[in-house]
Amino acid sequence: MTAPQDDRPVLQISGYSLAYETPEGTVAALDDVTLDIRHGETHALVGESGSGKSSLAWAILRYLPANARETTGEILLSGEDLRAKTQAQMEALRGRRIAMVFQDPSAALNPAMRLGDQIAEVFMRHRGMSRDAAWAAGLAALEHTGILHPDRIMRRYPHEASGGEKQRVVIATAFACNPELIVFDEPTTALDILTAQQILDLFLRLRAETGVAALYISHDLELVGRIADRVSVIHNGRIIEAGPVHEVFSAPRANYTRDLMAAVPRPEMRIAVPEPAPAPPLLRVSGISVSYGGPGRIARMLGRAGQPFYGARDVGFDIRPGELLGLVGASGSGKSTMAQVISGLREFEGEVAFGDRRFHARRAFDRDYRRAVQIVFQHPDASLNPRQTIGGILSRPLRLYGLVPRAEVPARVRELLETVLLPPEFASRYPHELSGGQKQRVAIARAFAAEPQLVICDEITAALDVSVQAAVARLLTGLQRRSGAACLFITHDLNLIRQLAHRIAVMQKGRLVDSFDVAEAESPARHPYTRALLQAVPLPAELQGAPAP
Amino acid sequence: MREILRNPAGLVGSFLLVIVLSAAVLGPFVAPYDPQQFHAASRLQGPSAAFWLGTDQYGRDLLSRLLNGAPATVLFGLGATALGVGAGSIIGVIAGVAGGRVDSIIMRVLDGLLAMPELLFTLLIVTFLGGGTSQAMLAVAVTFTPGMARISRSAVLSVRTRDYVQAAIARGESRSWIVGREVLPNALGPIIVEATIRVSFAIMIGATLGFLGLGAQPPSTEWGLMVAEARQFMFRNPWCVAVPGVAIAITAMGFNLFGDALRDAFDPRRRRI
Repeated sequence: MTAPQDDRPVLQISGYSLAYETPEGTVAALDDVTLDIRHGETHALVGESGSGKSSLAWAILRYLPANARETTGEILLSGEDLRAKTQAQMEALRGRRIAMVFQDPSAALNPAMRLGDQIAEVFMRHRGMSRDAAWAAGLAALEHTGILHPDRIMRRYPHEASGGEKQRVVIATAFACNPELIVFDEPTTALDILTAQQILDLFLRLRAETGVAALYISHDLELVGRIADRVSVIHNGRIIEAGPVHEVFSAPRANYTRDLMAAVPRPEMRIAVPEPAPAPPLLRVSGISVSYGGPGRIARMLGRAGQPFYGARDVGFDIRPGELLGLVGASGSGKSTMAQVISGLREFEGEVAFGDRRFHARRAFDRDYRRAVQIVFQHPDASLNPRQTIGGILSRPLRLYGLVPRAEVPARVRELLETVLLPPEFASRYPHELSGGQKQRVAIARAFAAEPQLVICDEITAALDVSVQAAVARLLTGLQRRSGAACLFITHDLNLIRQLAHRIAVMQKGRLVDSFDVAEAESPARHPYTRALLQAVPLPAELQGAPAP
Repeated sequence: MREILRNPAGLVGSFLLVIVLSAAVLGPFVAPYDPQQFHAASRLQGPSAAFWLGTDQYGRDLLSRLLNGAPATVLFGLGATALGVGAGSIIGVIAGVAGGRVDSIIMRVLDGLLAMPELLFTLLIVTFLGGGTSQAMLAVAVTFTPGMARISRSAVLSVRTRDYVQAAIARGESRSWIVGREVLPNALGPIIVEATIRVSFAIMIGATLGFLGLGAQPPSTEWGLMVAEARQFMFRNPWCVAVPGVAIAITAMGFNLFGDALRDAFDPRRRRI
């Protein structure tokens, strides 16, 4: 990238340690962290949840909670000690010399202020501009992000703009005063794949133009491989490994880095069960439509017919016994709506055929169907009742469907826990005592406890860390191999689904636009939307390659 | 419980509650005099060695009256709250679980009731039912019902959309299992907390009714009535108004602080990581 113009690093952190005081005692968050970023350099900080990466970002911005205790080390911004600054000095500094871009643009923007006012505020606060001048400067800054109709966006409120537009506004605000350093906290994770790609392009362009130093926090190794110059891998508050990106990724020294790299899904490394023999479909949905907000009875009587919004429109696909069908699409494309329809959680129009039975309404699903079709949800924290023990949760399907005699339930629960690689003692624990990955295993065990023929997995790996993700995916296919159940796997992670699925269906704006065998993913016959999705996620093979151009 | 005691407000609240509850349980037995006994020679006196908190217009010992009135006052608060919370939560849970039109009808009726100021509504009911302690208790309970129904409905609604409830529906569980085992245990927290805070309101409304002569009748030692009876003698002996007044305030504050701390302890977002 740009050659360093100044020998002194823009950000220099040396031997920094941070701990939090909690009722349970002092918990170390960062331990002897050393890191420096030069002008024009992008330094990636890679780690899993709870590794301390966000703590470091807040420490740099000097916005720590009251129970934080800084024990050693210093944080220098162009040689000035930030730890010695007063509150007022930091307030003058934030936004002008250090800026931050947050993960979720809808949470980072004030919902009661127009987007234009939020950009102009930075100019008024730090440049002392008048309102009109600040508004004009804001408009110029927003124009620079390549957004369509910047003048119209400026006058909108956050809820009237899309996620991508909002993130552009946040980025324009961050770059507004040409800061020396910008901290990016996973700026693309909350966006869907195609928008994330545009935001990244914008970041690369602005970085080249301004030569800003960037600290880029992420858990996404392939993304870091594309954009960063140097990388630090953080684990349990400690920097495990640091160096130029291509060196670290092509020859990782630490075991932890190697494990992380191995966990990144690669389409060519299949972990799917063998292709099942051709058979008549187990489940066939056809002409499924789900609408929200149709006109109510009174509105219709008054002749006010509002347009309903369709969560899914005329969707049809089938799943064969023992098969894993991937259902992909951006957020809001109707993937989860389909999961709810098939698991009997939402009213629908159309037909669901299961084996030789046909259903035309949600009420028609009986207990036999519900036993044969099980669902696993995205958030393991929300899908287990916090007031029931793991044993209670797992024994419920056994008792409800009378699958094993009453006396053998505890033994079967232990067996279930073992099949998902959890110790049998977990039966007496409560969900909050388990980690996210362990909870998701319990949710999977609960689904398979019912001895289903079809398991619907609604983004089950999205809320988990990369290393846990791979283990959960392997566990799922292992269980599938053992039980012969078919699986509908809903995800937005294309690399993962290409490892797992036999066939893939693509949804866009409530419609099914494409469906193909996984081997034909790269075929030119693919729908343009499928091609765009595939191009937006680079193959991890590029991680091993030469330094980024 | 440890969580509550760590919070300074919770500590003070628990301390006040212990005092009030022990007075309510032991009060009548440790009172130095008969609460209705006249000491004609020493009327409207300030605190002295014989009468620790002074005497009222008939020369009755204020401390004894206070201790004898404690069970009635505290029981009034607890009883009215229990009735109101019970009825309110049942209505609220029905509305929240049923949803749709049943929910709309119940909630619109409750909105109508809520539009009336609490005290005015109580007065209306008491006038209707006639004065007396049990009538007053019933009136307070009826007043509490719409608010509690609203709170328990929203607690149920927020739990009802959680994934574990969805999972139970997808499993084909019966309605009673879903309500009894999945929804209710997780919705109880906010209801219990609100109930604790409402005890203090109930005691204050009870005292107000007593003061207006619509609750307990003389010669009862109910605290609100004590204030009402003594108010014409306030300038000759301020103690006979201040003593029951402070007692009411302490009880209300105790329940209020305890309820606040309970809410903090139940709310995981308020807990530090």
